[in-house]
Amino acid sequence: MAKFLEYVPGNSILHRLNPSVKLVCAVLFAIACFVCSNLVFLLIMLALALTLALSSGFGRETAGLCKAVFAFSLILALVILLTTPNGVELIALPWGYIGTGSLLAACTVVVRLMAAAIPLFLVFYATKMTDITNSAVKQLHVPYKYAFTFTSTVHFIPVFMNDMSAIMEAQTARGVEFDTSNIIKKIRLMVPLCVPLLVSSVRKTNSAAIAAEVRGFNLRTRKSGYKDYPIGLLDGMALGVCVLIVVAAFVVSLMA
Amino acid sequence: MIEFAQVTASYDDDLAVLHDVSFTINDGDFVAFVGTNGAGKSTTMRLINGLLKPSAGEVLIDKMPTTQLKTSELARKMGFLFQNPDRQICCNTVREELLFGFSVQGEVGQAELDRVDALIEQFGFNPDDEPYLLNRGTRQLLALASIIVMEPPVVILDEPTTGLDYRECEKVMGIVRQLNEGGTTVVMVCHDMEVVGDFAQRVIAMTAGQVVADGPTFEVLRNSEVLKAAHILPPQITEISLALNQNCAQLPLPIAQANTVDEMVCALVDVEKGGF
Repeated sequence: MAKFLEYVPGNSILHRLNPSVKLVCAVLFAIACFVCSNLVFLLIMLALALTLALSSGFGRETAGLCKAVFAFSLILALVILLTTPNGVELIALPWGYIGTGSLLAACTVVVRLMAAAIPLFLVFYATKMTDITNSAVKQLHVPYKYAFTFTSTVHFIPVFMNDMSAIMEAQTARGVEFDTSNIIKKIRLMVPLCVPLLVSSVRKTNSAAIAAEVRGFNLRTRKSGYKDYPIGLLDGMALGVCVLIVVAAFVVSLMA
Repeated sequence: MIEFAQVTASYDDDLAVLHDVSFTINDGDFVAFVGTNGAGKSTTMRLINGLLKPSAGEVLIDKMPTTQLKTSELARKMGFLFQNPDRQICCNTVREELLFGFSVQGEVGQAELDRVDALIEQFGFNPDDEPYLLNRGTRQLLALASIIVMEPPVVILDEPTTGLDYRECEKVMGIVRQLNEGGTTVVMVCHDMEVVGDFAQRVIAMTAGQVVADGPTFEVLRNSEVLKAAHILPPQITEISLALNQNCAQLPLPIAQANTVDEMVCALVDVEKGGF
């Protein structure tokens, strides 16, 4: 299984698409998920996203991602459930109630976040960071500085995750009980670790910035990239499908 | 006592990085693990302190399998110095850092405060210094101090001299030697064969996740087959003596067996005096 957001080589349709097109399609897919609040529509979107992931060979990576997004969206769902009294009352609360509407809204949030997140993450699993940067500069006319900043940010997520896990290991070896099964205790113990993580992050980003600077980062222009990223029939079709999905999302949401 | 009984280990269900490894480290030993990057040395260290559990075989610490022990419990028995001290350091001052281990284990009394003060004096630290503003060598020393202040019976050092200059390296290793002389078991991963030759009593050479040699330091470091298999260069004096052995037919025995500068100089002086 690939590490979080790490490129996995392959020859699936998703791998073969133009990097910019992949990025735009993922954004359009996410827009469609946020435009429409119809649970059935969102479930179809989730099914589409999962089919895309499985057909591209990212089943295990997507399962891991779904687990993480599900855990995060559950917190949001819980907040909605407790603060949005809607529909037929199911459980009475001192400040309101949990109704069928609250339950529907909570489910919608969970499905929406999962459906919107999967294609965005798949882009990083199916595309090299350098290709995303260069293609965004060449075709989307994003200034290199910003494209590089964006991809570097994404690139640093797994790096920082590794750092955090190494710091936790080092502290466990000193007797800090990170290997406890008590989640609350674990979270409380993690707070002081922000210091070493912050220090190592700042040191790493500073080193990366200096390394980029001494290699002529600011001299780079749109023409500096030697690789071309042509847009083919497959890219056109993918874009067309995503535009149709956005239109469908608007139609469904207007009909509701 | 640390025992590895036919241990196989892997990360995330992927390919095994350690295959059928067996050895025993007795109390008071000073053992160095040598070999190329990826040979399985650091994995072995992680298995010893329970950060990694074996997928087959057993790792026993004082006859107790690590699968039944939590790493945080094992921390009382063994101190682990990581390659990067910044991963260990997490407090705002040197004194707090040295007290951190005690506070985690819930025992900060006058005895512990005295121990910290003694160590601050021994290492020459300023107790109010901010750890992250210290230089790399001093941070490494601080990380080592924060471990040995707990007086664990076993100290594990994962490349303790990486990034240190000669003076800092001498200081760190001098302290480690003192600990060993005081009865502490030292298990060390090291790429610097001069350090290994100078300090370790026993060497375990690894390659591709397997032990290829285990024995007294210079017995292993003089074995050309082991050196080739583990891709290691012996300390310079050993290398000279091995080269002389290969090229001179009637080499006097003390020169042929010299492993340190002292031994080589004495042998050469004796030869010059006509002792052989």
